[in-house]
Amino acid sequence: MSQLSDFEKMALPHMDAAYNLAFWLVRSSSDAEDIVQDSYLRAFRALHSFAGTNFRPWLLAIVRNVAYRWLGNRRRSANVISIDEAFGGHVGQEPAEAQIPSEDPTPEAQLLGDVDRVLVRTALDDLPPIFREVLVLREIEGLSYRDIAEVVGAPIGTVMSRLARGRKELRKTLTRLMEKDESNAL
Amino acid sequence: MRCDRALELMSPFVDGELSGQDRKAVATHIETCASCNALVVDIQHMSKAIAEIGREPAPKALVLRVRSALVAAEDQEPAKKRFVLRRVPSSIVRQAGMLAASCALSVLLTWSFMTSTRQANQLEQEILTAHIRSLLQDSPFQVTSSDSHTVKPWFAGRVDFAPDVKDLTAEGFPLLGGRLDYVGERRVGALVYRRRLHIVNVFMWPAPSLDSVPPMLTIKNGYNLLAWSKNGVTYWAVSDLEARELQRLQTLL
Repeated sequence: MSQLSDFEKMALPHMDAAYNLAFWLVRSSSDAEDIVQDSYLRAFRALHSFAGTNFRPWLLAIVRNVAYRWLGNRRRSANVISIDEAFGGHVGQEPAEAQIPSEDPTPEAQLLGDVDRVLVRTALDDLPPIFREVLVLREIEGLSYRDIAEVVGAPIGTVMSRLARGRKELRKTLTRLMEKDESNAL
Repeated sequence: MRCDRALELMSPFVDGELSGQDRKAVATHIETCASCNALVVDIQHMSKAIAEIGREPAPKALVLRVRSALVAAEDQEPAKKRFVLRRVPSSIVRQAGMLAASCALSVLLTWSFMTSTRQANQLEQEILTAHIRSLLQDSPFQVTSSDSHTVKPWFAGRVDFAPDVKDLTAEGFPLLGGRLDYVGERRVGALVYRRRLHIVNVFMWPAPSLDSVPPMLTIKNGYNLLAWSKNGVTYWAVSDLEARELQRLQTLL
């Protein structure tokens, strides 16, 4: 059995996960495709360095690195700003503080009922990538904290606090979006 | 427990990542603290909503594209060897190469067949291969139903035992269907369950005796394989699901 078919056997079943992570990081399907292809080539060449038993986080860590490099390049070639980045949910928004009810000592009330999927997408898009990625890996991919830590190359404690922080921000954004939705409906 | 501590532990609590003691402490706290409880419920709602978005589907052509890129990359690798052989007409080289390769392959296969003392290892590999093969196909099952009363009779006459088929939708493992497969030189039944986005194949065949064999976990290529025997049936569950969740399925079957 050749090295390539070994690799394919290990890696091809994870292509949907790889694509999903890339897509949520760069938010463009054609870029996500390029990132997956590049990542698979890198993973194949680096296969000898895979010593662990858990292939998926190893592969996803490569996808993540490639995606971040890609985001960096996009930012550097700043003459062209992608439409996504320019309008990523920031059109005509007032400063956040203006709309969020004060969040301190008053008892928290449950704010969210069943959350609309479109709103969740928008709210997730709005998060900085380091929070977005842990939520995607946790909720969509169902990875354990340990595996997420391996993918993002951070200690489990960091994963934990990023998830907590990400959820807090997400909740804020969702509350805001839902209020806006309601006032539009009126 | 105070609210600030509960807040810290809320995310891992919802994610099932707390140790027993912490979990109990948070659970007790939110029973009495309405505002922390409200937060937990919100987090659960958000979790559910994100999970429902599901994966962004990868374009079908992407697999082909990546595979051809990989083949091209592999071709480029042994560039040095090609340099030595360049003067000889390439078609002869290719033919000789193929002949040599097939000889080597057959020698290797014979050798590995004759010396394969590690049958268990081979079985694991076969189970894993069958699992992955099922994922590469359009549909991992031949009979589609979440109804155990449809799937169970489907196996009658197709395998030489009556598998115990349970739908575990309520427990978070919806039954997708069943199919036949060929593992360890015999025809086996396979049940396909889903856990979130993970597919679990449970292979089943008659066990050599009625004795129960406790579950044994193996990890292979990042997949978890769990084997056990119960009531005269040998089970192998395989998935990229976390070992803990796979073990939960085992207790339910």
